[in-house]
Amino acid sequence: MTRDPEDTVLRVGQSDSDRYDRMRRVGWVDMDAVHSARILVAGAGALGNEVVKNLVLAGFNTIDVADMDDIVVSNLSRCLFFRDGDVRKVMKSDVVAQRASEMNPDACVSSIPKRIQEIDDWDYDIALGCLDNIAARMHINSHTYFRNIPYIDGATDGFRGKVHVVLPGGPCLQCTMNRTHVREAEKRFTCTGSSSTYVPRMAADITTTAVVAAMQVREAIKIASGRMDMCLKHVAYYNGESCEMFTAEASVDPGCVNHLLREGV
Amino acid sequence: MGIKITVKNTADGSTIKMEVDPKETVSDIIDSAAEYWKRDAGAYVLKKGKSILRGTDTAMEINLMSGDTLEMIPDPEGGQ
Repeated sequence: MTRDPEDTVLRVGQSDSDRYDRMRRVGWVDMDAVHSARILVAGAGALGNEVVKNLVLAGFNTIDVADMDDIVVSNLSRCLFFRDGDVRKVMKSDVVAQRASEMNPDACVSSIPKRIQEIDDWDYDIALGCLDNIAARMHINSHTYFRNIPYIDGATDGFRGKVHVVLPGGPCLQCTMNRTHVREAEKRFTCTGSSSTYVPRMAADITTTAVVAAMQVREAIKIASGRMDMCLKHVAYYNGESCEMFTAEASVDPGCVNHLLREGV
Repeated sequence: MGIKITVKNTADGSTIKMEVDPKETVSDIIDSAAEYWKRDAGAYVLKKGKSILRGTDTAMEINLMSGDTLEMIPDPEGGQ
């Protein structure tokens, strides 16, 4: 929403007393829409911590964060909401929800301490994927695509990262997958967590995590503000070793089951 | 007669020459390149110009021509 300068009465120091003043200075950002958007964050690990932090600071007030894991020591190098005293005592989603809410009293961050596959309420405006395996990503992708919920998927592997934006009607995550993804789909790539079903651990670092999470939330701000036209089309790949980034476009796979289901075929 | 192409590994910039049958798929090209580079098992996508190629499409369907260069991109899947 754009403020009418004619209706504005400026007070001394006003610009520093508004938490979101600097955000409002970005002309296209609709802070009312950002405040009211209902957000799902799937995964409360490294990416999930960074994404929720960015969401709360950016003014998203209604956030559900889902994760089935508890906290282990090796999480502490990448997760700003986790503390030593949390290790093996609490669920990741519970801690993220509690400490993120403390960052901003306007934010209501709720925990869903269960598997992504067990989420049964899909009343969201935007979903952000912060997951560690293809199968869970495919699950979120299917549910969000069927319900016309924009989905912003983030992924990392060491110093490499990726952000994939799926908008209603466009190519979805599955449209870009091939035989190599199918082979990997049932492996649960993770670097921590007692519930891991697949080893080896993956390389991960906070700097790449931070870059990918920042891009994810930036795309969420665009979508919430009604500026899907500005969104990434469709995938951005980041190489932190060479500090290079490039984008690639996807196309709808006519055989993609998500598109066939959505069209009622 | 095969289509002579170059596949570039975006992870390190290395390249290989390949000869592809028009009926072979994008997934076939990825598998062959990954095997050549002895890459760890993982997910990859192949990019032609700005576009990500669909795995089931054949070389003929993507209009692959001799002299083309495809980029093979490791597809990160971590995040925890």
